[in-house]
Amino acid sequence: MAKTRELRRRIKSVENTRQITKTMEMVATSRLKRAQDRVVATRPYAAALTDLIASLYDPALEESFPLLRQLKGEPTRVALVLITSNRGLCGGFNANLIKETRQRIENWEAKGVEVELHCVGRKGAGHFKYLGRALAQERQDIGDRPTVAHATDLVEPLMARFEAGELDTVEVVFAKFNNPLSTPPTILPLLPVRPPADRRIGGSADRRRESAAAEPPTRRTVPNYILRPSAEEIVRRMLPGYVRNGMYRALVETAASEHGARRTAMKNATDNAGEMIDVLRRNFNRARQAQITQEIAEIVGGAEALKG
Amino acid sequence: MNVTVISPERSVYQGDANALVAPAFDGRVGILPRHAPFITLLGDGLLTVREGSETRHIRVRGGFLRVLNDAVDVVAEHAESVEDSDAA
Repeated sequence: MAKTRELRRRIKSVENTRQITKTMEMVATSRLKRAQDRVVATRPYAAALTDLIASLYDPALEESFPLLRQLKGEPTRVALVLITSNRGLCGGFNANLIKETRQRIENWEAKGVEVELHCVGRKGAGHFKYLGRALAQERQDIGDRPTVAHATDLVEPLMARFEAGELDTVEVVFAKFNNPLSTPPTILPLLPVRPPADRRIGGSADRRRESAAAEPPTRRTVPNYILRPSAEEIVRRMLPGYVRNGMYRALVETAASEHGARRTAMKNATDNAGEMIDVLRRNFNRARQAQITQEIAEIVGGAEALKG
Repeated sequence: MNVTVISPERSVYQGDANALVAPAFDGRVGILPRHAPFITLLGDGLLTVREGSETRHIRVRGGFLRVLNDAVDVVAEHAESVEDSDAA
């Protein structure tokens, strides 16, 4: 008797949980759809900008643009920007990003490099504060609909400090959005700006990869553009945009990845709850049956006793 | 010629055009079909795309414009279609 009541209560509670996870799964699915559209929508701009920089890039420009100043030897001061979500219940999503960041920090610090950590999203900030690490910056207001303005906000101070020589390298740890099921934590070297590789023609890019792994990129043969103003001026004006765009895409991809991860986590939770309910219900029925059998046996026993 | 207008957040416009007038950094530039390869920085202002008798206005700011192989890419930092261009 006590056992059936206990089981009924547990079934009820697991059913409630399943209801919640199922709802969260559906919410994540619809948000994922929108976030995914936003990721796709950033691609043409990024491609066009990358193409422009690739067309106009010239190793000689490194001299005049601090943002292009490639590192010689090891850096002394590195800024890491970790992008996590504000909310939990998305499986190992944030944990993976944090793990990647911790490894990166350890790597740098083992080489004696000073690392400052900037956290976007509550989960990452919370973790590193718990560890007692000082955060150079903490942003929790960005949420899952990042805008270019957010990216600009984050990147401008870093760019200014990079140009002033206070930082040697800026890297972003974010969740790359391959597809909703594959969102590996990825490190994006934001600064110094690496000249984009030739990507326009598949054939030449492939050939390039064989021959020029170590060789610095050379100016490509580009159509004879009329440039107004000069190539140098165009690069000067567009480079910050290129950096901003890198950060913006990292934010947008992480937001989409978060929803993908949450959908997967909630789907698993819903499935597990379903399985659990099946088992509990089986146990419940067995207990109920046993109770009935026992009651019949008692009645029959009682009747027998009266007869005798 | 084919015209594409994109901003970091999304593609704003894509279609054919007979003529286009864009606010470049130092004044307005007009692009007609079969223009030579060209890159210029954009300023702040209204981009006008003309196709047949239809005219479309898009407010753009920053970024660049590129003409290559009879295709115009307007890559703006901000781009926004203006709906009631005649009323304005």
